[in-house]
Amino acid sequence: MKLENGQLRERLAAEYVLGTMPPRARRRFSTLLKQNPALRRDVMEWESRFLPLVDILPGIQPPARVWATIEARIHGNRIPRSPASFWQNLSFWRASSFASAALALALVIFISLPGPQAPEALPGRMVVVMNDMQTQEPAMTATWEHGKQGERIVRLRVMGHAEMAPGTAWEMWMLQGENQKPVSLGLITTHETQTMVVPAVMASQLDNAAGLAMSVEPAGGSPTGLPTGPVLYYGKPLKT
Amino acid sequence: MTWMTAIVRNRALDLLRRPREVELDEEHEELIASIPDESPGPDELLRQSADAGALAECMKLLTGEQQKSITLAFFYGLSHGELAQQMQKPLGTVKTWVRRGLERLKDCLEPRNA
Repeated sequence: MKLENGQLRERLAAEYVLGTMPPRARRRFSTLLKQNPALRRDVMEWESRFLPLVDILPGIQPPARVWATIEARIHGNRIPRSPASFWQNLSFWRASSFASAALALALVIFISLPGPQAPEALPGRMVVVMNDMQTQEPAMTATWEHGKQGERIVRLRVMGHAEMAPGTAWEMWMLQGENQKPVSLGLITTHETQTMVVPAVMASQLDNAAGLAMSVEPAGGSPTGLPTGPVLYYGKPLKT
Repeated sequence: MTWMTAIVRNRALDLLRRPREVELDEEHEELIASIPDESPGPDELLRQSADAGALAECMKLLTGEQQKSITLAFFYGLSHGELAQQMQKPLGTVKTWVRRGLERLKDCLEPRNA
């Protein structure tokens, strides 16, 4: 390619930045870009002309799970424990009911812990025994206590080697009393013991929840932010 | 922020230009096309925007076709071929609009950038 020709270089740089190049030309151009400083300078000049235009577009808030995934990838698959500044930025998501469900989903962080034994019910702790809706037998317990920053550390114990159907997910909900929509606490696994952290902003909602429920949802969780599948387990809180 | 915008845009364009593994069938495309978009388009925003500044001013110097093809390319990520299809004009014509439009934009912006 005759890249010494300044005009041609300039034109190609403009088309590259504008994005009109067909796929093969675009790939070739990207390769040339790495080798040719003059070309890079032309591209940067066009970027400085055009890219400020992006600012006039209205912003789109990506779903909470996108952030969660990015965070998890940055930290090598380990989902980090509530970085405060991040959660504080989320307050504006609570505008719509769907957004608040997404918020709830994002705010709850699960850490599957193979280690800890099922917690004893100690004074001041909240305990919910959730029954299997069909057999009416206890199937799961949830207990929680206060974390250092006002968050709630919820320990779940799933009894009797429960199995999850392939392609489905188990989603936890806190029930808010009559005529109020349940709020998602996020997805759980079938592990016998697991821990989730409910952030401080949702703590009083959890403490005052009318009940907890677990519903069967499509893989990835309820698409609507409200339970869509059958409720398997359900229970009311007992204060101890 | 420009550098970050550039990275995101280039990555998005690379993905957009990748051969699609799954094509939407026609019925779905029609369905999607039939959903009205009530929000103002980028061209409308560009007209309304006071911030876009020099570039918006320079855009006014372009012919309607040049403006439209550049706006469609920039905001909707259309390639030359897709522009030709969208505007129902021959490929060569559309390419010329884009090229002339870009040249004129550059001439207009040049004194300020220098």
